Amino acid sequence: MELLDRYLQAVRKHLPWKRQEDIIAELRTNLESQLDEKQDELGRPMTPAEAETWIMKLGSPMQMASHYQPQRYLIGPTVFPSYLHVLRLASTWAAVLYLLVNAINLFTGTTLHGAAVASVIFNLPFVLVEVAAWVTLVFAGIEFTAAHFPDKCPNIGGFHAKWSPRDLPPLQPIETPNGKRRTYAQAMAEAAFGFVVLGWLLLVPQNPYLMFGPGVAYLNASPYLLAPVWMTAYWWIVGLNAVQLTWRCLDLLRGTWQRPDLAQHIVFKAVGLVPLLILANAHDRVYLLLKRPDIDSASYGATVQGANQGIHTLILILCVIVSAQLAWDIAQSIIEVARKRATSS
Amino acid sequence: MTLPDSTFENLRLELRRGCLTLAVLVQLRREHYGYTLRKDLAEHGLVIDESTLYPLLRRLENQGLLVSEWREEDKRNKRFYRLSSDGEQLIGLLLEEWRAINGSISSIL
Repeated sequence: MELLDRYLQAVRKHLPWKRQEDIIAELRTNLESQLDEKQDELGRPMTPAEAETWIMKLGSPMQMASHYQPQRYLIGPTVFPSYLHVLRLASTWAAVLYLLVNAINLFTGTTLHGAAVASVIFNLPFVLVEVAAWVTLVFAGIEFTAAHFPDKCPNIGGFHAKWSPRDLPPLQPIETPNGKRRTYAQAMAEAAFGFVVLGWLLLVPQNPYLMFGPGVAYLNASPYLLAPVWMTAYWWIVGLNAVQLTWRCLDLLRGTWQRPDLAQHIVFKAVGLVPLLILANAHDRVYLLLKRPDIDSASYGATVQGANQGIHTLILILCVIVSAQLAWDIAQSIIEVARKRATSS
Repeated sequence: MTLPDSTFENLRLELRRGCLTLAVLVQLRREHYGYTLRKDLAEHGLVIDESTLYPLLRRLENQGLLVSEWREEDKRNKRFYRLSSDGEQLIGLLLEEWRAINGSISSIL
């Protein structure tokens, strides 16, 4: 039957070449026997439509051939847990070492400017992709060796055979403030987002439009100038972001990313008050200055004074809100600790 | 919550996979070629696709559980399979395991 020949020809193309002849010969015998029997039952040859329906039921040529292929994967289930573990460790350590080395380079260099720091931060994802590619390549090699030369490759599952129950870490409470565990992907995404934010912050002094957008044109054209207190607060914000990011990376490194620490949460919030307090205590409550006070003070002096007063009030309100949130969080954690102590006793 | 059809299908396939291998091995205590084996199994209620059965025979032969030979029958060259001596030994153990599982499931039910 021509249709069967065409089908077998198509299957052959997807078979391992060493076994093509043998497989096709066997498949042909089996299918021809089936065809003979079907035609005996019908008492006549199959019509083209019937033949088509029968061939359709066999599955596509590629599907049929795929069943003759050994199962293939880049990294199989035996090796995968070790791969994931090494990938996490390697990417975290690579990030830490990369940032450390570049930080030393930047601080010992002649000039430290935002653009250089931002470039270091924006290059980090590429470094991580490269590390992940190398780790994957090595593990794919291990998988290949284990699959093709099992006698030359030690039992890979045996990596885990030497563990002892005594080495298990002590029990840790799994409750989190919102009752949910953080996934590794979530923790990684938070860290990545932290890097982006830090990079963005560092670019702002040279490229103020990143923060103010088209308002920069207005600021440049206006007679006003931001007071130096903003830069002091800005560097505090940058420093706090860097600390927060380092902490997150350490969490990833230590494997404690599943459970955000309540104390850590409170400390971050408390330290986050510092820039606000710096602004609230600005010298003479000055946030805006005049570029040319000798010329413009008569026209804009009153406006600047009003704006400074307004900004100060706004900052005070923000301080009160953040302090209230902090007090609420502290109170909640005290209650939580007391509740746990009562439960355990 | 409604489970997708694929969930049942995947679990069904998983459940059938081991059973089919066992059925094939048992059936090959007597010599068969691919098509008659498929017919035999279908008559016992185990319908297996061609694309599943024929490659399975190859895999079992590669594992040393089956032996095969090409022979002419009814003017057609056919590849006949039967259980190897290793397969004979293994099938005893597998059947023992099967009976234990079957007994456990029956008692749970």
